[in-house]
Amino acid sequence: MAGVSVTIKKRILFVLISFFLMFFGLIGRLVFIQIINGDDYLKKAVDQWTKDIAIPSKRGIIYDRNGKKLAVSATAYIIYGRPAQIKDKATMAKILSEVLEMDEQTVLKKISDNKSNVLIKQKVDSEKVNQLREKLLENKLNGIEFVDDCKRFYPQANFASHLLGFTNNDNTGQDGVEASFDKYLNGFPGRNIVMTDGHGDELPGSDRKYFEPQDGLNLMLSIDEVIQHFAEKAIENAQIENKAKRAMAIVMDPKTGDILAMVAKSDYDNNEPRKAPAEVADKWATMKDKEQLDELYKVWRNPILSDSYEPGSTFKIITSAAGLEENVVKPDDKFFCSGFITVGGHRLKCWRSYRPHGSETFTQGVQNSCNPVFIEVGQRLGKEKFVKYIKAFGFGAPTNVSLPGEASGIVRDVSAVGPVELANIAFGQGITVTPIQLITAVSAVANGGYLMEPRIAKKLIDNDGNAVHEFEPRVVRQVVSKETSEVLRGILASVVSEGTGGGAMVPGFKVAGKTGTAQKAENGRYISGKYVASFVGFAPANDPKVAVLVVIDEPGGSSTFGGVIAAPVVGSIIGDTLRYLDVKPQYTEEEAKKFERPIVKVPEIRNMNYKEAVKELTKLKLQYRLDDDNNPAPESLVLDQTPKAGAEVNEGTVVILYAQSVAP
Amino acid sequence: MPGKSRGSMDLTLLITVLILLAIGVTMVFSASAVSSVKNYSDKYYYLKSQGLYAILGIAAMLFFSKVNYKFIGKLAFPIVIVSLILLIIIFIPGIGYGAKGALRWIKIGPVNLQPSEFAKSALIIFMAKSLSFKKERVKTFTQGVLPYVMLMGLYCILIILEPNKSMAINIAMITFLMMFAAGAKIWHLAIWGFPLIPGGIYMLTKDSYSLARLTSYMNPWADPLNTGYQAIQSLLALGSGGIFGLGLGNSRQKFFYIPEAQNDFIFSIIGEELGFIGAVTIMILFVLLVWRGIRIALAAQDSFGSLLATGITCMIALQVVLNIAVVTVSIPTTGVTLPLISSGGTSLLMVMSNIGILLNISKTIKANGS
Repeated sequence: MAGVSVTIKKRILFVLISFFLMFFGLIGRLVFIQIINGDDYLKKAVDQWTKDIAIPSKRGIIYDRNGKKLAVSATAYIIYGRPAQIKDKATMAKILSEVLEMDEQTVLKKISDNKSNVLIKQKVDSEKVNQLREKLLENKLNGIEFVDDCKRFYPQANFASHLLGFTNNDNTGQDGVEASFDKYLNGFPGRNIVMTDGHGDELPGSDRKYFEPQDGLNLMLSIDEVIQHFAEKAIENAQIENKAKRAMAIVMDPKTGDILAMVAKSDYDNNEPRKAPAEVADKWATMKDKEQLDELYKVWRNPILSDSYEPGSTFKIITSAAGLEENVVKPDDKFFCSGFITVGGHRLKCWRSYRPHGSETFTQGVQNSCNPVFIEVGQRLGKEKFVKYIKAFGFGAPTNVSLPGEASGIVRDVSAVGPVELANIAFGQGITVTPIQLITAVSAVANGGYLMEPRIAKKLIDNDGNAVHEFEPRVVRQVVSKETSEVLRGILASVVSEGTGGGAMVPGFKVAGKTGTAQKAENGRYISGKYVASFVGFAPANDPKVAVLVVIDEPGGSSTFGGVIAAPVVGSIIGDTLRYLDVKPQYTEEEAKKFERPIVKVPEIRNMNYKEAVKELTKLKLQYRLDDDNNPAPESLVLDQTPKAGAEVNEGTVVILYAQSVAP
Repeated sequence: MPGKSRGSMDLTLLITVLILLAIGVTMVFSASAVSSVKNYSDKYYYLKSQGLYAILGIAAMLFFSKVNYKFIGKLAFPIVIVSLILLIIIFIPGIGYGAKGALRWIKIGPVNLQPSEFAKSALIIFMAKSLSFKKERVKTFTQGVLPYVMLMGLYCILIILEPNKSMAINIAMITFLMMFAAGAKIWHLAIWGFPLIPGGIYMLTKDSYSLARLTSYMNPWADPLNTGYQAIQSLLALGSGGIFGLGLGNSRQKFFYIPEAQNDFIFSIIGEELGFIGAVTIMILFVLLVWRGIRIALAAQDSFGSLLATGITCMIALQVVLNIAVVTVSIPTTGVTLPLISSGGTSLLMVMSNIGILLNISKTIKANGS
């Protein structure tokens, strides 16, 4: 047999050497991968092996001042899918979409995604999760993961919405006290670090690190749920009855600055803050994301602290306080209203220039809300002192209430105040305030002169019920003396008992307050037909327990006067609140007599002429009074009345008439 | 005629093979233990089957070391016919089966036969036999090259139809290596580069999946969960092993990060558990094996023995190089098992039988030879 040829041997040797070179090349690769880059790959591998699962902390409960729950946290789940493990995607999509109320195609797309993990839905409650678990078991489907989460729940929908706010999917507060107290409510999420296999399942026997979550603290608010209910109901009715764009109320304990209630309507359901607002619900689907968000921001906005407006006549309280404190005016000082006053060459009219108030004391001027009286008081104060008092009462700066988004309002610098501006500000124009600023300032007038910092939170409580931190009432400064406060309380009480604020009367309680009707301005011009009607009051006048501001924005009903539409709302909230707080009614002799008299129903006298109306009231043994003290022409039409028709009152009760030809 | 003049078989080769086989069984057990529990509720599932095949493989090796390789040479033509028949009947419905729609296996009783593995050996035997007849005619294009390329083409077409592209490429490489070893003119071989290389590139890139797999090896992190997944997992396994490894049985990547860790990617697990040292040790064992194989080829008494030994050695060496190149992400991912180590019955039996033939050839070497 022939031996092997030299060529073959050479070639075979060549092959051998080639293979050896390849082997050396591959060993080089191993050096590169295992030795040079080994640590880097190890780090990546460890990342892959370990799974860091956040364990949500339980968000604190929000209580009212009496321990009633306003916001609670419930266990919920985040649902993830692992597409690689979902064999029957069509069935899975069907089950998921049915149970979770999602679009089937959207779900199918998600679980077909080329990712190891896809988020399917957050905030799913236990009931649905159990349902889903059962169905998956039934159909022998794998690849769905349930991760613990928390869901915020507000037991009462559309209740103190703006005040409470809401949380996002990560359980972070987004608005209201949920946002401003987020760091206390949130707690610290825990972590569970485990080793997992390639399917994402925990490796048995691997070392795991577990860090316990730290629950959030519970928050007790200054809000009283019952008073909040009174205010909610009163404001809801006021908004509907007056066809108003918005209506709002804030109830404060004037002595502590505690906010007892805060309502602004329209509001939203905190459980579904991202639901389409009613006004735009029909075109919601066609709106762009940004447009939708803009609408939601409008709804979420809390006008009580974020929006400033021209206060109008309610601001005369501040002018009065400054004037009395500086002793430039006394209650019995004489004034004369000729229907207008000339300032710096401009004729500034009194609101009742068609029927001037004539001779009046300062007290009567306040009762009449007579503009020339306040212009003169402002002039007597001078701009420096006046602006100093305005700022001392807290205007032009945030009140530092613990709520997000507070505005400052606009207060002119002394240097920018000329004679006309001074005159305007004296009766509440050319200055803007937020409702929270006004109620805080009026509370200072009511409580003996102390400007309080509005308090929304009383304390933080741990899960064992111990107070961790108490928020004490804080006096910002004393603005006016006790004496001034007392005198002004008396004057403001007379506004209700004898003046334009009669609508706020509450039998058994002496209510003090001031009306306000301001024309709205846009781009520096007043717009006809758009008003802000308001009333700010407190009671009992001699020892105020509660202060209430009601603002009705753009009322579209029969009346736009603060005295007509806002005062009764304040009266009803004050009455409900004082009775709830068990404040003893003190009936005047007159009132006591009244209560012994038979009850009659107030007749409908609107749209009657003045003469007929008086006849009608006299027939029923009811007294009557005009919104001012002068007699109108017998044929002038009655535009409005307080109390409203159908109210049951004692004989002899005063019915206030608002007669025609009253121009703003 | 069989051998009074014969020496003993190559013990170095035998021992090297047995060590590799032992390492293989151990590592198959280590790599498969996790998935065995999950899929078969039996930690030892793969250990049992691999152990059984190892014993059968040793038996086959001993058997073929006793059968005179010249006798096998005489059967070369019938073996080729049988291999072609097997490759064809795989397409008869009910006979062939395999994973993911590919038809790669035939079930004969309890044994799974992979016709393409058998075809590879059949081709080597046939070419060795045929080329050894040709002598100087090997240098002609029509006799030394064309017939083998045609036969190779037939095999490759049948195997691509299964489909099993990796195996087809493997067979083409062996064919050319054997023609080269037999002394064919270089340019007779090189000329095939014109149709074959573009054709091969076309095959690899014709659909987006193949293309994605091809490009992903250059940057596996571009698509870490899909086309780059295996490459990344392999690198992480090797890298986390470092120099000394995590220790036998301590792989983390075998916990379903590397799918079917006991198969094509077993070398990653070796690198992870036994480190650079373990991985290089195994490579040195393979170098030893290849060196002994080539030594046998060089010392063989006749051209047939020499070419047969070359074919067998090249087949093993090529598979080792391709497998480790894939695992170290040096070339795109293709399905090549690591001979003697990866789990798999047919492949192990075929490799062991071939080593048996190699051992038989080694017996013909004179005691003082080489």
